[in-house]
Amino acid sequence: MSEIITKEARLLQTFASLADTLVDGYDVVDLLQLLVDTCQELLDTTAAAILLSDGNGELDVVASTSEASRLVELIQLSAEAGPCVQSYRTGEVVSVPDIAQTPEEWSRFRESALELGFASVHAVPMRLRDNTIGTLNLLREQLGDLDEQDRIAARAFADVATIGILHERSLRETALLAEQLQGALTSRIVIEQAKGVVAYTNGVTIEEAFDLIRGYARSHQLGISQVAARLVDRTLRFDG
Amino acid sequence: MTSAFGAALEALDRSANSPKEFCRPFVDLFPVTGASVSTIGSLLGSETLSASDGVAARLDELQFDLGEGPCWDAVRSGRPVLEPDFTARSSARWPALSAAMRDAQLRSIFAFPLAVGPLRIGAVDLYSVERVALDQAQAKQADTMADVVGRHVLRQALNAVGRDYDYRGNAYSRRIVHQATGMVLAQLDLSPDDARLVIQGHAFATSRSMMEVAQDIIEGRLSFSSEDDGIEASG
Repeated sequence: MSEIITKEARLLQTFASLADTLVDGYDVVDLLQLLVDTCQELLDTTAAAILLSDGNGELDVVASTSEASRLVELIQLSAEAGPCVQSYRTGEVVSVPDIAQTPEEWSRFRESALELGFASVHAVPMRLRDNTIGTLNLLREQLGDLDEQDRIAARAFADVATIGILHERSLRETALLAEQLQGALTSRIVIEQAKGVVAYTNGVTIEEAFDLIRGYARSHQLGISQVAARLVDRTLRFDG
Repeated sequence: MTSAFGAALEALDRSANSPKEFCRPFVDLFPVTGASVSTIGSLLGSETLSASDGVAARLDELQFDLGEGPCWDAVRSGRPVLEPDFTARSSARWPALSAAMRDAQLRSIFAFPLAVGPLRIGAVDLYSVERVALDQAQAKQADTMADVVGRHVLRQALNAVGRDYDYRGNAYSRRIVHQATGMVLAQLDLSPDDARLVIQGHAFATSRSMMEVAQDIIEGRLSFSSEDDGIEASG
């Protein structure tokens, strides 16, 4: 039980710190690196990587849990003929519980994966409506499908990555940070709760509460998610 | 936690999904003959969930039927009701029950409300054939244990009625619910989980969606406090 709670709490923390990343103006690669590292740390996966379409339909690895060339190569093979590119083209999750059973046209990927000790793979499209921009790939040493919670989390990570990337692209064009933020993350649970706390304790609106939290975080050089967590667990109070 | 009290709390958490076990840690920890756990009132109806023996079960039923007794008082007041010597002076308070208690030769009775924030959903009854008293520390422990049971009971009941009250909704409405959760946790000094449970329970009690309740909370039309009946609606 406590293990599950810890994992969920850490997932939340990650989402909250991602929200923080988006607030402060961010480097998209840092964001994606955080995502794959988090996948490896919290999900039942051995290695993780994110690939993005370069605009010509080619997929490139932009972040992976190891920079080891063999892993990057393997992922790249998957992007030529394998679960990765299939997920990208169909816009669907491709779950391969047993890499040894994959079709002949994926043979290069299959052999390389087996050689590196991977037994199964889970590829999640990074998709905004009809637009697939890349995939999140989770490679595992164990046979079988990811469990449901991890699948949901992987899906959420892929979505965050998508949002983060699309933001960065549109930010260059519009620079409307404040407005962009509103739809940025759907999982800022702790921050939303903290807004409620401050709205009540300080008698302000939810929007004003967010400004207070953000202002406090900035003036104390803390992450906004950190401030939010302390407001929610009541170790920090704005009402004196 | 290695104390007997800690062990009792752990036992309650272990039996979160088996309500029949709820009475056991109370009997183990306190110097009483038996215990029962029941839901009472309009929110979840009147039903015995757990009884250590036939007497405890009958005592509950008797109180349901008579509409009086310590468990009703505990639910109404939201506070423990301690009656170490029932035969001595309780006739006026619960006339019908007192007669039955005397017949059954029960001496002491204690009731602790099952409550989550302002939602009062039932009571734990402890009885003894010998005269026993609970000291302040014991009463506080029993009250804390009843709180734990209350959360489990409400969570289970809401799970049983289905997903309408385990709200997932879309991203926008989830945010509203999270924000309202924040307001309620500040109003009642609860954990986020309990605050959310209060919103869920209130939605269930009023046959509305969590989203509607959450919106009322955020817009100040509905607020909770730990005082009295604890729910204030305005506007």
